[in-house]
Amino acid sequence: MDPQPEPVYYICGDCGMEIPLKPNDVIQCRECGYRILYKKRTRRIVQYEAR
Amino acid sequence: MTSKREEKMKKMFGKPSAESEDYAAVRELFRHHIESFDHFVTAGLETMLNKIKPIEVVDSSTGTSLAIWFGKPFLFPPQKEESKTARGKLLPFECRQAKVSYTGKFMADVYFKYNDGPAIRENFNFGQLPIMLMSKLCHLRGANPEKLVSCKEESSEMGGYFVLNGLERVVRLVILPKRNYPTSMVRNSFRDRKEGYTDKAVVIRCAREDQSSVTVKLYYLRNDSARLGFWIQGREYLLPVGLVLKALIDTTDHEIYKNLTCCYVEKDESCDVKKYEKGKGNVGTQLVGERAHIILDEVRDFITRRQCLEHIGGHFRPLMRGLEDESDLSVVGEAVLEDYIFVHLDKGFDKFNLLIFMVQKLFSLMDQTSLPDNPDALQNHEVLLPGHLITIYLKEKLEDWLQRAKKLLQDQINNKSKTFDFCSLVNVKKVLDKNPSKHISLAVENMLKTGRLVTQSGLDLQQRAGLTVQAERLNYLRYLSHFRAVHRGASFAGLRTTSVRKLLPESWGFLCPVHTPDGEPCGLLNHMTSTCRITSYFDAQGNIRNFLNIRESILTVLSELQMISSVPKLVQAGPPANLSVLLDGCVVGSISSKVVEKVVAQLRKLKVSASSVIPDDLEVGYVPLSSRGAYPGLYLFTSPSRFVRPVKNISIPSDEGQNIELIGPFEQVFMEIRCPDGRDGGRKDAFPATHEEIHPTGMLSVVASLTPWSDHNQSPRNMYQCQMAKQTMAFSLQALCNRADQKLYHLKTPQSPIVRTSAYKKYCIDEYPTGTNAIVAVLSYTGYDMEDAMILNKSSVDRGMFHGLIYQTETIDLSDQKSRSDRSRKFFRRSNINKNSSIDSDGLPYVGQTIKPNEELYSIHNEVTNESRSIKHKGSEPVIVDYVAIDGKKLLQKASIRFRHPRNPIIGDKFSSRHGQKGVCSQLWPDIDMPFSGVTGMRPDLIINPHAFPSRMTIAMLLESVAAKGGSLHGKYVDATPFANSKNVNEETPPQSKTLVDELGEMLKVKGFNYHGTEVMYSGVYGTELTCEIFMGPVYYQRLRHMVSDKYQVRSTGTIDQITHQPIKGRKRGGGIRFGEMERDSMLAHGAAYLLHDRLHTCSDYHIADVCSICGSILTTSFVKPERRVGRAVKGLPPIRASKKVICHACQTSRGMETVAMPYVFKYLAAELAAMNIKLTLQLNNAA
Repeated sequence: MDPQPEPVYYICGDCGMEIPLKPNDVIQCRECGYRILYKKRTRRIVQYEAR
Repeated sequence: MTSKREEKMKKMFGKPSAESEDYAAVRELFRHHIESFDHFVTAGLETMLNKIKPIEVVDSSTGTSLAIWFGKPFLFPPQKEESKTARGKLLPFECRQAKVSYTGKFMADVYFKYNDGPAIRENFNFGQLPIMLMSKLCHLRGANPEKLVSCKEESSEMGGYFVLNGLERVVRLVILPKRNYPTSMVRNSFRDRKEGYTDKAVVIRCAREDQSSVTVKLYYLRNDSARLGFWIQGREYLLPVGLVLKALIDTTDHEIYKNLTCCYVEKDESCDVKKYEKGKGNVGTQLVGERAHIILDEVRDFITRRQCLEHIGGHFRPLMRGLEDESDLSVVGEAVLEDYIFVHLDKGFDKFNLLIFMVQKLFSLMDQTSLPDNPDALQNHEVLLPGHLITIYLKEKLEDWLQRAKKLLQDQINNKSKTFDFCSLVNVKKVLDKNPSKHISLAVENMLKTGRLVTQSGLDLQQRAGLTVQAERLNYLRYLSHFRAVHRGASFAGLRTTSVRKLLPESWGFLCPVHTPDGEPCGLLNHMTSTCRITSYFDAQGNIRNFLNIRESILTVLSELQMISSVPKLVQAGPPANLSVLLDGCVVGSISSKVVEKVVAQLRKLKVSASSVIPDDLEVGYVPLSSRGAYPGLYLFTSPSRFVRPVKNISIPSDEGQNIELIGPFEQVFMEIRCPDGRDGGRKDAFPATHEEIHPTGMLSVVASLTPWSDHNQSPRNMYQCQMAKQTMAFSLQALCNRADQKLYHLKTPQSPIVRTSAYKKYCIDEYPTGTNAIVAVLSYTGYDMEDAMILNKSSVDRGMFHGLIYQTETIDLSDQKSRSDRSRKFFRRSNINKNSSIDSDGLPYVGQTIKPNEELYSIHNEVTNESRSIKHKGSEPVIVDYVAIDGKKLLQKASIRFRHPRNPIIGDKFSSRHGQKGVCSQLWPDIDMPFSGVTGMRPDLIINPHAFPSRMTIAMLLESVAAKGGSLHGKYVDATPFANSKNVNEETPPQSKTLVDELGEMLKVKGFNYHGTEVMYSGVYGTELTCEIFMGPVYYQRLRHMVSDKYQVRSTGTIDQITHQPIKGRKRGGGIRFGEMERDSMLAHGAAYLLHDRLHTCSDYHIADVCSICGSILTTSFVKPERRVGRAVKGLPPIRASKKVICHACQTSRGMETVAMPYVFKYLAAELAAMNIKLTLQLNNAA
C-alpha cells in the first residue's frame, strides 16, 4: 500500500562500502559481511543561518 | 604529487609518524599490568592448575574410586563467535562499539582416573575469559603505531586494561603486606583475641608459587609462651609453638632449646660481647632461656614427631577437604602443616628454622631489644597485580567447581532410586554438566566488571570490593594515573585514625608525595613515581624467570661469601655475633656480622653486573645491628610484585659499565643515598653515601613532574594542580571517531605549552595536549576579577580559545528490552503516519542534525501490536547527532547514537593554570574594552587578579609567565624541569652566577622588553595610561570539566513530591534547591516576612483545604457531584459555573465548610495522625 520508503545509506565499518538499507533488510555488509555499519551524514540542510 | 606533499609535511612536522620506540617511556608506565597478565597466560595458569589438589569420589557399594584433576590449560585469543565459516579476530574497538567483552576461550584438560586404571583426558570448555589488552593474547600485541591506527586504536595505545561490556576497566593496585617477611606488630586487637594474649605478635604472609597466600601469626602469651595462629575457612585456629616445632621435624627438646636461645650469649662470655658497644645488636636477654623452658614444658607430653602430627591431625581432620575419612592421623597432620603453615616453604626443616627465627624476633620485641615494624610503611609492603588477582580468584573458582562436581557425583551414587552407572565416563560427564563449567570464566568477568570478589575464603585479602575501576578517558593524564595509582586498601578508608594516611619517609622515591587527592582518599590513594617499577616474572629479555635457579645461584654466591649454610642439627650463633640470612622467607644460613657489610657490597656489585646470575632487581635488605632498632638480619627478596626504582651506585666506578641499581623500599631504609639537591642530608662522615639519586625529579609522579618549576611553588599548590590536571578538558583521544564512550570531553583548540618540563616530551604529552597558552595580564580591572574570578577576552573566545565539546553516546538494544508480558519483537522503524518528523525512514535520527529538547529522536516499531512509538530527546539543551552506528542482527535492533554538545566558554566555566590557581570566568569582556599594551598594542586573553599570588605563593606561575614570554619572543620552548640547577651544584662545575630570574629576564631584555616582564598598558575604556606597569605574559591555561551548562539549576514551579506536594530535589528531575533552616533564619533576621512566606509556602506546597468548622476536621470533607445542568446557558455568556459543593462526612452537612490556606503537608500530617488513632481538630475563628 505504502510506497516503498527510500533506502538509508550506511557505510561498512570494515571495507568502507556504501550500503543502501531498506526496512527488513539484513544488517550486514554486502561485500565483506561485516556487521557494524555507520550511517552516512544526511544531505538535508542542518543549518540555515551561518552567523 | 604525493611524495612532494609528504616531503613538505616532513619539513613541517619532522618525521611523518612516530616510531614505536618513541612510546617506550610511556609503555614502561603500564608494564606491570601487562607483564602480570602475561605471566598468568604463559605460566601462572598452568602452575595454578597443577597446584589444585585432585578430588576423589568413592562408590562405597562397589568400592570403585574416581580421581579427577586438572591438566594443561589452553587460552585462546579473542575470536568472533557469530560467523560459523570464518572465525575472524575480535578487535578491541569492536568490543567497545558493540558493548561486548574482549574475551578469549578458556579450555583445560581434565583427567579422570578409575582406581588404578589409566588416566583419561577430557577437554573442558571453561567459558570466555577476559583478555587484557596488549597482553600476549591480544591481537594488538607488538603492533606498531600504523597498525594500531588501522585497528582504530590510539597510535600510542598502551593496553593494560580489560574491555568488558564495552567499558574499559583497570584492576586497581592494592597494597598488601610484603610476602615471606616476618613482621613484628603491636596491635590491641591481638590482646582482645582471647584471655591471656598480649598485644604483640609476629606476622608473616606466605605466598605460594601460584600467588595464593596464607597469613600466619605468632602471638605472644602473657604466660611467656607463644601460639601460632592461622585461618581455615573463616576461623582462626591456634596451636602451641612447641607442638608445631616438634611436628615439623624429628628433633629433641635440647635442640629446640639450643636453637631458641642461640641469640643470647651468657654473661660469662661477656668479654666477647663487649666488643659490641653498649650491647648493640643484643636481641636476646636472659629471659629467653626461661621462655624456651615454658614452651617446651607445655608440650612435654608429646615426645615424638608422630605424636604431634597425630594430635594435630585429630583436631583438624573434619576441616581438611578430601581427608575427612583418612584413618592415619599423622597424614592429616602433615597435610595441615603443608597447607597452612609457611606455605612458601616445602621442607619441614626450613619451616622449623623460620619458626625459630620468628620466635626469637617475637621475644626480642617483647624484651624491647628491637622495635616493632611499621605495618603502614612502604618498607613492609608489596602490591597486588591484576594477573595475580585473577590467578587466585580463578583457582578458588576451579576448586569450588571440583568440590561441587564431587558432591554431585556423590549424590548420584547415594541416590538409590536411579540407576547410575558410576563406571561409565559418559554418565559421569553428564552429571558434571549440571555444574556448568562455563560459569567459571563468567565469575572472573563479573569480578572484573564489578570489582567485587564473591568468595568464601576471602583469598587472604583485606577487601572484597573496589578491586577494579573504570579507566576514564577524560584526558590523558587521568587515564594514565589510573594505571599508576596504588590504593592502600578499602578497609582503611573508613578508619578514624589518620596514621595510615601519613606520608612516611620510607616511601621516598616510590610514591609521589605530591600526587594524592585531598579530601576523603587523601594519603590512601597514592601514585607511583615516574621511575618506580614493579618486579615481575619476566626479566629484561622478556623470558620467564626461574626462581628456583635464581635462588640456587644466590645460595652458591652466598656460600662463597662466607655464609654458614643452615644444616640440620647445626645450631647457628645468633646476633650480635652472627646475622641470619633469609632468602624469600627461608632461613638459609648466617653470616658473621664482621663480614656482612662486605658481603652486601659484593652482592650489590653482582646485582648490577650484567654477566652475573644474580637478578638485577634482587632486594638486599641488610638490617644492621643497632641498639633497640629494627631486628637485624640480611633479608634477600627475589619475589615479583615488589616496588623497585633505579639509583646510581657510586661505590662502583661508572667506567665499569652499568652502575644503575634497582633498589626496593625495604633496603632503601638502611642505605645511604645522596640526593643531588640535598647537600649531605644530615649524613655524618662515618656513613658515606654509597648511592646517589639519578635526578631529584625521580620522586615525582608523571602528573606531578609536568608542573613547571614545581620546586618554586608552595607544596599544596602542586597537589591542587595534580588534581586539576586530571579534571582538565583536553584533547582526550585521537581515535575519537571510533569511540562510543558514555561521555567524552574534548578540547577543540589545544596547544603545546611553551614552558615545559623534561617529562613532557618523555611521556609524549604532545599527543594529548591539555590546554592553551593564554596571554595573561595580572591586574585588577573592572572588578569582575575579584575573588578568583577571571575575565576572558570575548574576541579570543570567538577565535576559538578553549572551545570544547562533550560527546555522549546512547546505546539502545531493543533485543533485551523484551517485555515479559508480550513476546513481541521490536525494532527501529519510522511510523508511516508522521512523515515530516526529524526521524529518518530507518527510525533513527539524521546524522548531523540538531535535536532540541523534547524533539523526537528515534522511533520503535512493535511487530505484534503493529504500533510505532517515538522516543523523545530528554535533556535541557539542544544536541547534534554526531554519528549513528547499527550493529548486525537480522533486524535493526541495536543502535548507538552519539550526540555532540557544544561547550564554548561562557560565564561560570572553570579554568586553571598549571599551578593550582583555579578561577571562574566572570565576564566575556569585549576586545575593544580590554587594556592594551603601550608598545605592542596587545590585548590579553585573560585577566586575573593580583591578589591570587601573595597568599598562595605560586612563584612558578610568575616564572612561567616571564619564561613563556621570552620563549615566544625567541621562538623556542623553555625547559622548566624542577631542581634543574641541583645537578650543577654537586658536580662541582663553576657555580652558576645567574639565577633563574636573571636568565629569564635577560631573554626579555634582549628583545627590548622589560626585564621583569611588566608592560606599560592603557585602559581599554578610557584610553589613559594605567598608573602602574602590568605584569603580562603567556601562561598555559587548562579548561576544567566543571561547566555551568552541566550544573545550573533553576525552577519556579515544577515537579512535586507525590505525598507532601513539596518541590523535589535533584537537577536531573527539574527539582529545586532547598531553602533550609539557615536561610530561613537569615530571612527572619532581616524581617523579610513576605519573602519568607513566598518561599516557604506559596512556592512550596500551598494548598487550600476545606475544613469543617463544626467538627474541626480536615479529613472528613468530600465533594458532592454537582447536578448536570446548573442554570441555563445564556446566549453569548459563558455558562454559570456550578459551585463546588463540599460536605463533611461526619456531620453530613455542608453548613460549616470553610476554606483555609495551609501547607499541604499539614493535611498529610493529619492523615498520618489519624492512622495512629489521633484526631486533629481545627478551631476556626476570624483573627484580627
